Amino acid sequence: MDFLYAVTVAPLLDIGQDPTFFAEVVIGGLMAGVMYSLVALGFVLIFKASGVFNFAQGVLALFAALTLVGLLEGGLPIIPFTDFKLPPLPVPLAMAATAVVMIVLAFAIEYLMLRRLVNQAPIILFMSTIGLAFFLEGFGDAMWGSDVKSIDIGIPDASFERWGILFNQFEIVATGTAAVLVAVLAVFFQKTRIGRALRAVADDHQAALSVGIPLKTIWVIVWSVSGLVALVAGIMWGAKSGVQFSLSLIALKALPVLILGGFTSVPGAIVGGLIIGVGEKVGEVYWGPALGGAIENWFAYMLAMVFLFFRPQGLFGERIIERV
Amino acid sequence: MLYREAGQFKTSYGKDQSILPIVQDRWVLGIVLVVAYVVVPLTADDYWFNAILIPFLVYALATLGLNILTGYAGQISLGTGGFMAVGAYAAYKMTTAFPELNIIVVFLLSGLFAAGVGLVFGIPSLRIKGFYLAVATLAAQFFLVWLFNKVAWFYNYNPSGTIEAPPREVFGVLVTGAAATPMVKYLTALTMATVFALAIKNLVRGRIGRSWMAIRDMDIAAEIIGIKPLQTKLLAFALSSYVCGVAGAEFMFLHLGSVETIAFDINLSFLILFMVIVGGLGSVLGSFLGAGFIVLLPILLTNLPAMLGFDVAAVNAKHAELMVFGALIVFFLIVEPNGLARLWQIAKEKLRLWPFPY
Amino acid sequence: MPKDTSANQTLLHVDNISLSFGGVRAIRDVSFEIKTGEIRAIIGPNGAGKTSMLNCINGFYHPQEGTITYRGQTRKQMRPHDAAAQGIARTFQNVALFKGMSTLDNLMTGRILKMKGSFLLEALYLGPARKQELEHRAFVEGIIDFLEIEDIRRTPVGRLPYGLQKRVELGRALAAEPTLLLLDEPMAGMNVEEKEDMSRFIIDVNEEFSTTIALIEHDMGVVMDISDRVIVLDHGEKIADGTPDQVRDNQAVIEAYLGVSHD
Repeated sequence: MDFLYAVTVAPLLDIGQDPTFFAEVVIGGLMAGVMYSLVALGFVLIFKASGVFNFAQGVLALFAALTLVGLLEGGLPIIPFTDFKLPPLPVPLAMAATAVVMIVLAFAIEYLMLRRLVNQAPIILFMSTIGLAFFLEGFGDAMWGSDVKSIDIGIPDASFERWGILFNQFEIVATGTAAVLVAVLAVFFQKTRIGRALRAVADDHQAALSVGIPLKTIWVIVWSVSGLVALVAGIMWGAKSGVQFSLSLIALKALPVLILGGFTSVPGAIVGGLIIGVGEKVGEVYWGPALGGAIENWFAYMLAMVFLFFRPQGLFGERIIERV
Repeated sequence: MLYREAGQFKTSYGKDQSILPIVQDRWVLGIVLVVAYVVVPLTADDYWFNAILIPFLVYALATLGLNILTGYAGQISLGTGGFMAVGAYAAYKMTTAFPELNIIVVFLLSGLFAAGVGLVFGIPSLRIKGFYLAVATLAAQFFLVWLFNKVAWFYNYNPSGTIEAPPREVFGVLVTGAAATPMVKYLTALTMATVFALAIKNLVRGRIGRSWMAIRDMDIAAEIIGIKPLQTKLLAFALSSYVCGVAGAEFMFLHLGSVETIAFDINLSFLILFMVIVGGLGSVLGSFLGAGFIVLLPILLTNLPAMLGFDVAAVNAKHAELMVFGALIVFFLIVEPNGLARLWQIAKEKLRLWPFPY
Repeated sequence: MPKDTSANQTLLHVDNISLSFGGVRAIRDVSFEIKTGEIRAIIGPNGAGKTSMLNCINGFYHPQEGTITYRGQTRKQMRPHDAAAQGIARTFQNVALFKGMSTLDNLMTGRILKMKGSFLLEALYLGPARKQELEHRAFVEGIIDFLEIEDIRRTPVGRLPYGLQKRVELGRALAAEPTLLLLDEPMAGMNVEEKEDMSRFIIDVNEEFSTTIALIEHDMGVVMDISDRVIVLDHGEKIADGTPDQVRDNQAVIEAYLGVSHD
């Protein structure tokens, strides 16, 4: 009985009694959600353009963050057989260099992996990205070490109060960045020629090839853009909670975000991320104590599963009509 | 030359349908079984049993389970660890509550719990396609690990949170518990693995296996032929969860002896998935080959540099493992999606001619 | 040569079927019947709605309007596996074989509705399970003989050339012992000899097993030779229905194929 009360009535009472706190929790959830959305964006891009669910997206974010930190701190012996170590680079240069690294990585992925898996079943492509994730993780750890690092790119983490609610400066910046990114990507997909080509590729590789769309170029572009999105996500997450292995697990959290939002929808990734973010925070704060805590571990997935029951294509996804 | 089929004519469909229609294959299997049951117990030492053979057999069983779902029925699952956990904890609760119950029976029953849990998570998500089952299995994975961690009833309120395999006998011989000999544990695991492999092979080459493969290859056409997709997938899911549950019970009782929930986390799910891919999707033999390969790989990686005279202090073995695993997965998917099992088949076809060139 | 089937019973008739996808009307108010034992061709220019029609008959698409009456039972729509259970089998425009399985396995899968299963017995491969498996194997071997595909029994169908794949697909449909066989462009992509073989098979199926056949085909020579009656669809509507000779001389049909613009 106690348990039942704790799960159904008590949380609602708590919410009602302190609405300001509730608002803070919700806002905190929204901010966390923005972070999820950033990562989910990268997924949507690649899925939209190549039909591949890139399990390695989280690891790409981790890898980008690791590279950035490594460049900011310096110490990488880039010329073999000498003692020359790279000095710490200033922030803008380091970011640019990391971006270049991600683009090079996109080329490598396309050349070594994607090109050889053209038109394989989606499940095969998906599993290859799992392999890629593991490889990149080991590689990143081997290069930069696996201890937790912090990123400092000059964004203050101060909190301030407005309208009686506590806000966090960093999170505001993150939200702003995400908003800009989303706007840019949306325009990119809808309005540009390349965007249209990307959508064609997502639909049917062979058909796109036969129309003359350069598959390889498209893939490099998409994975580069995704890599850059991953970089932004990695920076944001890393600056917030440190750069560490768990960043790659974000990839797994992105799945529920995409289920909610629809695998092919940019606005869906945003809305899905926000819903998951808020849901997790509210769930943890108000229902968590009754259930022993740490519900964040599974809440998102359960929510996604329930959603699957009612609306499998997500809030914004397209219903797929099968033709035989 | 060695592998010539010439002269081996089958005079009935029955003989043609046997699992190993070619005589040389039967010899190989016979030899393998003799080595496994007789030679190994007499010659292997404890290290081999504990570090290599027992985990190999336990993982092989789990790989068989996942192969049913992912290899034959084509549905991806990332929750293998969670289902193994269900089997382990179910077995633990059963044997601590009913110590007189034969431990093998306990193993076999624990799978049923895993199957039940599997159905709960499977039913809502198998109605739709694609990665959605992956999400449900992830939900199961995270939820189950959390559950076994938080609810103290599962580990009998033990303050350390671990569960330990109590000593149990079969026919008077100690099979589990700290005092049981590795050789006995090995033979138990071996027998379970062989029996399950045979049963699964029988299922897979008949009506049920074909319906799974039809769903995997082209589910629309399968439905039009009359195969009911939901029931077929559910059966695969239930059976797969059952086998993984039994493997989970073995994992705890025969391999590790005592375990915390973290042993069943998502990394275990990935490990088994890798075994399936490397061994060959949709192959009973492949399940064994993949498990063996992945079990031996880390040992190889740690010992190889020393053997070759390298100094690899800079690259941590764990990192190398991750990289090699990842690279192997991609490699196999590109080069031979049917894994080691297919490579074995190709080798046999080459043996048809060897030593002649054509 | 076309035979006179006017005296035969009606096996299937569709009445006032209309089907739309989103805003596109694929089929508009089409009605026709298929008599038992005949070979009925459905022809028409591309996009006329022929495949959609077949898809409605075997329950894959659900028409918005109209009914389908099969073996005396009228219904608005069927689920695909009900259609299969009622004896309707089909082949597809883009070969829909199970690429990971061998020819033999594909054919055996075609027979799945005839297989009663006991899970436990199958796991042990004992007694009844084994006996049943061998019986079905014997039946399927009959089809393999009939279609002359003995030497590709064990080949994974993904490795077969296109013409053979189409033949295997026919075999899979036949394995179900269908009452009504729907063939969607069974001769697409074949050369002259292959077409002659396939025509021979289709006629044999119709004569030896008394299977009713509905067939979509573009090769007019084939259609004229083997079918008993023909329906012509254009832009989702029925524009002709009769014997091959009647249809060939029909002005509307000629115009549809030559592309005279409709005002």
